[in-house]
Amino acid sequence: MRLLTKTTLNLLSISLFIFLFGVVAFYYSLRIQVNRNINQEMEKRKLSIISELESAHSANKPPVNQNEIVLISPLDQVKPRDSYSDTLIYNQAEKRYQIFRQKGFVQKIDNREYYIQIFKSLEETDNLIVRIVIIMTIMVFMLIIALLVVNRYSSRRVWSVFYDTVAKITRYDLNSHEEFSLEKSDVSEFDDLNRVLQAMTVRIKNDYLNLKEYTENASHEIQTPLAIISSKLELLLQSGEMNEKQYKALADAYEASIRLSRYNKTLILLAKIENKQFPESQTVSPEIIIEHQLENLDDLIRDKKIEIIKRIQTGVNIQMNPYLAEMLIVNLIKNAVRHNITNGKLIIEVNDRFLKIANTGSAGQLDTNLLFNRFYKSSSSPESLGLGLAIVQKICSLYGFTIHYSYEDEMHCMQINHKVNTDSL
Amino acid sequence: MKILIIEDERTLSDSIVEYLDGEGHLCEVVYTYHEAEEKIDFYQYDCMIIDINLPDGSGLDLIKLSKEKSISSGIIIISARNSLENRIEGLETGADHYLTKPFHLAELNAHLKSIHRRISYSGSNELVVNEIKLIPDEHIAYVNDQKLTLTKKEYELLLFFLSNKNRIITKAGLAEHLWGDYMDSADSYDFIYTHIKNLRRELLKKGCPDYIKTIYGLGYKFDLT
Repeated sequence: MRLLTKTTLNLLSISLFIFLFGVVAFYYSLRIQVNRNINQEMEKRKLSIISELESAHSANKPPVNQNEIVLISPLDQVKPRDSYSDTLIYNQAEKRYQIFRQKGFVQKIDNREYYIQIFKSLEETDNLIVRIVIIMTIMVFMLIIALLVVNRYSSRRVWSVFYDTVAKITRYDLNSHEEFSLEKSDVSEFDDLNRVLQAMTVRIKNDYLNLKEYTENASHEIQTPLAIISSKLELLLQSGEMNEKQYKALADAYEASIRLSRYNKTLILLAKIENKQFPESQTVSPEIIIEHQLENLDDLIRDKKIEIIKRIQTGVNIQMNPYLAEMLIVNLIKNAVRHNITNGKLIIEVNDRFLKIANTGSAGQLDTNLLFNRFYKSSSSPESLGLGLAIVQKICSLYGFTIHYSYEDEMHCMQINHKVNTDSL
Repeated sequence: MKILIIEDERTLSDSIVEYLDGEGHLCEVVYTYHEAEEKIDFYQYDCMIIDINLPDGSGLDLIKLSKEKSISSGIIIISARNSLENRIEGLETGADHYLTKPFHLAELNAHLKSIHRRISYSGSNELVVNEIKLIPDEHIAYVNDQKLTLTKKEYELLLFFLSNKNRIITKAGLAEHLWGDYMDSADSYDFIYTHIKNLRRELLKKGCPDYIKTIYGLGYKFDLT
């Protein structure tokens, strides 16, 4: 739940609770106050009635008033106490019960005790109370709504900085060359947060760049010592003064130095793709590259008697760096040939949407999660570097191509959708 | 051939000199841009082997300099940078070949030989070793004036052998020469074996002695001795 929603809900529930109790309490206190006033009024009326009766010396004709009924009845044995009460009286004219307040008292007139009741209509005061309560309710409701709206609006404005920060951090990519800057806020907490975050990202980015630069430099610097090692070993080989065992050791060392240099070259390539150091792009034809690579791998293909099935749509072009296009296709075809079985099949399909390379192979379904990892190797070919698909994936992500691996009809299938490219570049 | 080697890494330039001396070339070595500039000013070389990253300048500028002076030396770049752009830049400046470090000395030697042929026999570009004759421009080889039937790879193999005769050539070196970076070395060794077998058979058939010696576990040697 969003903080804003949560605070709003809290505020709403508390204010509704208070308001409900408030209205009930308000109603009753109003009621009590009104009753008290009426009682006082009736007390005055009692006095006036008494004086009236005494002056008139007759209890036969009580004064008449619309909102007031005075009943005088002779008292029997039982002597009721003075009291106040609410009672309903049927109104003949309006044909309904109306609420009245009644005051009863005993008065001695001409040595005879009478029980006198004064009834006073509560209709008007009741109406007033209800009206006041309704108006109060409406006002409080409006107040709550107004508060909620204002709170929501102002919170949203205040929190917008926070949401902006979250969104920016989510999108943040260490590899991107964009400046990471956060919005200024007039809330000091958010300002602090942004300042700290900004300082942190700058520090992380610097560390990352330093590390990257270091590894890249290291990779480059390794090339020269490697050149020295391999050249010295080659010279040593030419000296011709060694026995078979020494030659074998030398050969192994030489082989290892070459493998190291291949690793190194590939890692440099990966780093360069990550750094987007292949900016220039042009129209490349996958068909030409594929033909060229099949020719290059001719020995391997013929050795394994692989049947090549080409479904290449003519005139398909992809807009990308020519070197990367070559690396992409080389690695895919090389994998498809290398991991193929004798008398296997290799299907190459190219159209204006995707490039698909399918091959028969010994292993079953491969683990898609590991497939594109660096140094992932299937057990069948320990000699391979395990970097081919890592390169393929890096190139694909650079151009926004999607790559999809599947295993169908006992064939490993790599499909690269290159369509996105034409729209985005 | 008179060769100027411009490479600041002394041990590496020593190796190059040692290998090339064995081929009968006359090598001079300089270690800085400045020294190289002076040498190019005063002397004439058949070929220059230039490292791009020099402590006090760029090898590319040296190439430009020698082209401005219309010096016709062959130029081979050796560089730790291996991107296509670097390669294209180097070749466009006027270099004949571009080798990335680490490289096989046999490969460097083969390139030198091709430059040598270009310079020495302008026009009829032939390579003759005993009874074997190669015409690189046409990709044809003869033994005792009989044409050899060779595949492209076998022809390249023969040329590489002739450029590095009496030397041990490693399988890795051969693989890289024939397939470049495109095939992983371990994969290609079997094919090298097949191609060599075919080449040897073809040479023997045309009356050529068996020059190709197998060096156990290492590679091959085109032995004329």
